[in-house]
Amino acid sequence: MSTKLFRHRGYGWHVLLALLNCVMLPGFEAIADKGEASEVIVYADHIYIGNGQTVDDGAVLIRNGEIVAVGTDVKSAKGATVVRIKDASVTPGLIDANAAIESSDLMTRPLGRRSPRAVLHDLFCPRHVDKISVGCCGSRCSRSLQHANGEACRECGFPNAAPPLEVGNRSWPTDVENSSEVIPHTRVLDAINLRSPDFARLAKGGVTTVFAAPDSSAVIGSRGAILRTAGPMKERVVRAEDAVKATMGTEPSWRGGRNQMPWRSRVTFLTRRPTTRMGVAWIFRKAFYDSILHDKGKELGGADTPPRASLGALHQILAGEIPLRIQARQQHDILTACRLAKEFGLSFILEEGTESHKCLDEIQAQKVPVIFGPLYIDAPGSRRFSTEVGGSLLHTFQRLLEHGVPTALTANELRDEDGLARQAMYALKMGVSFNEVLRAVTQTPSRLLRIDKEVGTLEKGKRGDLIVWQGRPFDADARPVVVMSGGRIVVDKRPS
Amino acid sequence: MTAMKRIMWCGVIAFMLNGSAVSASPPAKLALQGGRIIPVVGEDIAVGTILIENGKIAAIGKDVEIPYDAMVVDVSGQVLFPGMVDVHSSRGLDIRNEPLPVTPFLDVYDAFDPSKLYFEDALRDGVTSIHVIVANNCVIGGLSRVVHPIGITPDEMTQDVHTSLKLSIAPKRRSDRMVQMATLRETFLELSDYLEDLAETKYEESLEDKDEKIDVGPDEAIERGRKLIRSDDYDDKHANLVKLTRGKLGAFVYCETGGDVSRAIKLAKDNGFFDRMTFVLGAACYKAAAEIKASKRPVVLGPELIYRERNAITGEMTETFVPEVFADARIKFSLLPNPNGSLGERYLNYQAARCVRNGVTRKKALSSITINPAKALGMKDRIGSLEVGKIANIVVFSGDPLDFNSWVDQVYVNGIRAYSRETDVRLNRLFGDETSETQSEDDKDKIDEEVPAKDAVEKAKSAAPVGDKIDAETKGTDESKQGS
Repeated sequence: MSTKLFRHRGYGWHVLLALLNCVMLPGFEAIADKGEASEVIVYADHIYIGNGQTVDDGAVLIRNGEIVAVGTDVKSAKGATVVRIKDASVTPGLIDANAAIESSDLMTRPLGRRSPRAVLHDLFCPRHVDKISVGCCGSRCSRSLQHANGEACRECGFPNAAPPLEVGNRSWPTDVENSSEVIPHTRVLDAINLRSPDFARLAKGGVTTVFAAPDSSAVIGSRGAILRTAGPMKERVVRAEDAVKATMGTEPSWRGGRNQMPWRSRVTFLTRRPTTRMGVAWIFRKAFYDSILHDKGKELGGADTPPRASLGALHQILAGEIPLRIQARQQHDILTACRLAKEFGLSFILEEGTESHKCLDEIQAQKVPVIFGPLYIDAPGSRRFSTEVGGSLLHTFQRLLEHGVPTALTANELRDEDGLARQAMYALKMGVSFNEVLRAVTQTPSRLLRIDKEVGTLEKGKRGDLIVWQGRPFDADARPVVVMSGGRIVVDKRPS
Repeated sequence: MTAMKRIMWCGVIAFMLNGSAVSASPPAKLALQGGRIIPVVGEDIAVGTILIENGKIAAIGKDVEIPYDAMVVDVSGQVLFPGMVDVHSSRGLDIRNEPLPVTPFLDVYDAFDPSKLYFEDALRDGVTSIHVIVANNCVIGGLSRVVHPIGITPDEMTQDVHTSLKLSIAPKRRSDRMVQMATLRETFLELSDYLEDLAETKYEESLEDKDEKIDVGPDEAIERGRKLIRSDDYDDKHANLVKLTRGKLGAFVYCETGGDVSRAIKLAKDNGFFDRMTFVLGAACYKAAAEIKASKRPVVLGPELIYRERNAITGEMTETFVPEVFADARIKFSLLPNPNGSLGERYLNYQAARCVRNGVTRKKALSSITINPAKALGMKDRIGSLEVGKIANIVVFSGDPLDFNSWVDQVYVNGIRAYSRETDVRLNRLFGDETSETQSEDDKDKIDEEVPAKDAVEKAKSAAPVGDKIDAETKGTDESKQGS
């Protein structure tokens, strides 16, 4: 057969080429892939290391995803990828230590196929009623009830245009887990879609590593995960099981589907416990107390006994093996958190800390690090519905730093115009120095997440996570032009 | 009354007094000396002086000779920028839109509230001219008005009356586009019917006066009658529409999508107000950029600057930064603040900075918050830039206006200092003064002693230019003071 083919001149060439391709292409690909990842050099006018130091007119050399040199006289081998833009500054990739990831993505929901039954289900199913407003079109636009199914929403343009995902129209970032008030045995990673477009949005804003935060519906909630926002899927998960999140204040009593009956009745003892702050503190106390009893081999019993599965995790928290985070916004909730932690000899990280300017001394005395944010006057996003945000002041973050409290800045569920880079910009306006702001979104969160050996600063031996900005980082008119994760360019907005 | 409330009241009183200072006669001569000047029209001046005489800019430049009797304010290290223009705002109104669809007889004069905190905020953010107009949820809205954000009565605030009528091509809520366009056409048809009837009646009346009988056909009677109509013969419902169709009123026409643009142009051309039309565009309108460019009409971009669209098949989302499209098409545009957006978007200068971040040139971005809106309002020879002969609406920034870290230190309106950051009680409350309810009872008493109402009143008075204190007060703009 081959002779027949080769007799025709044209065919012969094609077959030969095809054969060659089969042999050569994988090889070429491998080489190209290696070449891309092997060595990258980034030139910049200013390199902000992240620990307070700056290198002017220097370069960062990354080999095999790892930073090998930062300085003024860095040279790369031939064939290295060169990133050089005008007026460039380099900072480490940002780290959001309390990012809420959009776990269910309505954007990918099939359109025009929603039966009236499905719509009714969304509106009245107890599992869905706590989503802010699922309209009859399936969008979460607040006004979506005003138009018929299948018709474009006049407020947000859905389905013709994407419903605005930013401020004010975001759903709860993760679906709420209702099985118990004590669920440290569940993992938020199991609820997260690693292909969610939310990660791309984060990466676009320069955030390369996040702590994916659990929801705040349970008194002792699930375990968060540390994830990368870009890069190959197999490298995305940095730590599958990280800190456990506990919540003080009102949220455990009003969030969660079971707290409201389908007809949106008030929270009563018939629907769910706890109903007050007292109840929240009691469940927290009872859980750890039961854990201690269990360790002593005693029988557990009574109302609010934590699930058996959670006892292991509770024991580990008490032993300091699992870090504990407590979300508290108002002053008295922060103080309650401090008190409870003292009772059980726990150390914890304070989340949100909206009114921490009112109890700086207590926070300082107990050496509580804070993951503060976002900054706001009028609460954006899901916080609009919270009763705990009235005491928010823009200078709280600055006051925390002034008092020497290790404070990381977070944007939580906010993106784009309210994202982490913009939060840093707001903090700058409040009079915090540039280096401190940079540290609050890089080095400090990496330490609080205990990944500071790997990321957080631009030092030799660390991962090649960095941002190349045009202009001064966090300035109103500067943007991340190139974002790299592990030496790979994951966002590239250089003019071609 | 708690300390906080008392302080808030002081703020309100101070603000009102600031406002009433406007009606006082402006200082004869005032010189802002030693600042960096960004005039928007023309080249920047690294270190220069602006001389204000009788509320107008008398001289501007590197070496301006300062008259011996001029009051000198040292603004060295600061930046002088024209007062910004909010070209489309309904936030001063108590209710933004009427339930009635066609309301050309309404006037925002009757509804906007000078005591609204919005005006105070606008002044604080460096906005000196606000075009108060009804919102987009209408068919034909009412008359608009240009005001400055100081004064305690609508009259005191007014800069320019009866600027424009508001029209919307996008459907009023609970309506659709066909009904919307039908209502618009019907309104103008009804107007021409009305004018014919009026003309005929007028002619008949004129004959009755002379005791004659109609001797011509109806068409001729209407023609003759038209000449007899005087401007006060129109009833309220039609008077403004008549002005509109004769080009005596501007028209701010809201378009939501690209398709609305062509409808707006047709409507305007059919009814004679095309030459005075200004587009108010939703984000989706960038798709009609070519059409908008060909029309050569001024453009106001809605508060939302990013348009997101999802591909129904691939599910892929694309984002378009709208001002960039307009800048690339060489269309001049004005920006609006976005009060419902993020913390930054509520500042006009930040909206401009966003444009620069997304590839619009600095010059175009600065024009879009100053001179372009002035042009859209037909006030380009009075406001919108720092040029000799213009009204002295000047913002003194602590740094570059496009830098988010800059603060508005002072605002001059009509050559009078209307705002000073140092005496801004409410700003201090929000941005980190010690005077919050966190204080213990002792501290509270202390604060009350520190800032009694009387003191605040005096401070407010000193903000008026009649006094020698200004020079001393305007110094001390270092940011370190701010943060604590």
